Amino acid sequence: MAYNKPLPRVNGDNQEFWEGCRNHELKFQQCASCGHIRFPASLVCPKCLCSDFQSIVSTGTGKVYTYAVYHVAFHQGFLEDLPYVVAVVELQEGPRLLTNIVGCSPEEVSCEMPVTVAWENVTPDISLPMFKPLI
Amino acid sequence: MDREKTHAIVGVGYTPQGRVPGRTSLSFHLEACTNAINDAGIPKDHIDGLICYRHFPAPSDENDLTPHLVAQHLGIEPNYLSQDAN
Amino acid sequence: MLDAGLCRYVLISYGHNAFSSASLFTMLMDFAGDDAVFGHFGATGGYALAARRAMHEFNTGPQTWKHIAVAQRAWANLNPHAMMHGKPMSFGDYLSSKYVVEPLRLPDNCLVNDGGRAVIITTLERARDLRHRPAVILGLGQHNPSVQVTQSGTLTGSTGARKACETALSMAGVTRDDVDACQIYDCFTYTVELTLQDYGFFGPGEGESWFSEGTIGPGGRMPVNTSGGQLSEAYYMGLTPLSEATMQIMGRCKDRQLGPATQTKEPSIILVSDNGGILQAHSCCVLGRI
Repeated sequence: MAYNKPLPRVNGDNQEFWEGCRNHELKFQQCASCGHIRFPASLVCPKCLCSDFQSIVSTGTGKVYTYAVYHVAFHQGFLEDLPYVVAVVELQEGPRLLTNIVGCSPEEVSCEMPVTVAWENVTPDISLPMFKPLI
Repeated sequence: MDREKTHAIVGVGYTPQGRVPGRTSLSFHLEACTNAINDAGIPKDHIDGLICYRHFPAPSDENDLTPHLVAQHLGIEPNYLSQDAN
Repeated sequence: MLDAGLCRYVLISYGHNAFSSASLFTMLMDFAGDDAVFGHFGATGGYALAARRAMHEFNTGPQTWKHIAVAQRAWANLNPHAMMHGKPMSFGDYLSSKYVVEPLRLPDNCLVNDGGRAVIITTLERARDLRHRPAVILGLGQHNPSVQVTQSGTLTGSTGARKACETALSMAGVTRDDVDACQIYDCFTYTVELTLQDYGFFGPGEGESWFSEGTIGPGGRMPVNTSGGQLSEAYYMGLTPLSEATMQIMGRCKDRQLGPATQTKEPSIILVSDNGGILQAHSCCVLGRI
């Protein structure tokens, strides 16, 4: 069956991130001046406005900063997933990602729970970084 | 603060609310504005500033709801007009 | 612009056929952006993320929020114009209602309605010649942390509310102790808790006991959202709290009028709030009688 959920809109700012995801790499911009690792990708560092950066690849591990359990589907594509968990995961390197927690029931999720990336290949071009409990 | 430079709210406009089918968003703006003007007891031509809260996307059978459209329908020509973000 | 003489009378307006049209749904989808990829939509999800983090950091949750939902419903039952007039709600009703996005239940969410609201502002000098007692803008403050909810480190406070309130109170030359009532932007129950917390009425985690004495309901010592608010009257963005504060100052609220009618303090000073985005923007206004 064709993938029936929304897909990311790839643009000039986030292209490198989504290309990294296709290769199962979480790539972030690290400011060449102050070292801040930023997300979402941007023309300038929000800490110091420097535009030079190097790309770094995250280890893919982190912890749940916060989460919410959807009991209502606002989009048809998520109807069969109910109840599902949307979370903000804070990676070891610092950036926070909006994501889903998979591989456990909603009741098992908690703030500060250690997680690791679980790639979901949804189309030939797009892989989504979801997260599962780190065992 | 300088009390002489203080401002005050002088009129409030209400409309029917809840489930009110068959009405456009524009019509609710206009009814609320008209009631506020009447509540304040001033002629509409005194209104020379208009701020509309940010509108949501209009449904397909309705025009984009800009402050210009509200001003046009109220028959006013504000010196200041804007849309406030929320 | 009024100060500069650019305008004499400014009209502020909001109108939306949110209940009867598809535009709210369109907005939910537009608002989501790429968050929709992970099934994250609208404001309920965003505030649920913030509320969940708060539950992790300090004592809050349904046992705190039930007081807000139930008190505002009690106010709505004194307001014949409120959508939830005639629909009383008990703690049990609240706690047995369905989750939308956990930890937020349906009665934690503001209403979706058709309707409009508008107010008119002018100089105090002109206001004195008009028919109603002027609702005087004594102080204003705004602060915009701006960071989106997924990147914010201040989901549990302090949000923009703290600075906005400090600015507004200082401009008005009053303190929190002078405040007789509050009209708080209440897109969600948690927003009311967090705003009052950031305004300094209680510390993080102390909300449950602060609210539990019937503090914000009819007869309470700090009435909040006396029209029923966005949870139980109707949703007009910042104009729900602002218009209600105005009507209370003017003394036009009948059964729900602050003062002897509701065994509450006469409203000389009311704090009014408005939020934008998801805890990204905050405005605070001190409205009063002079």
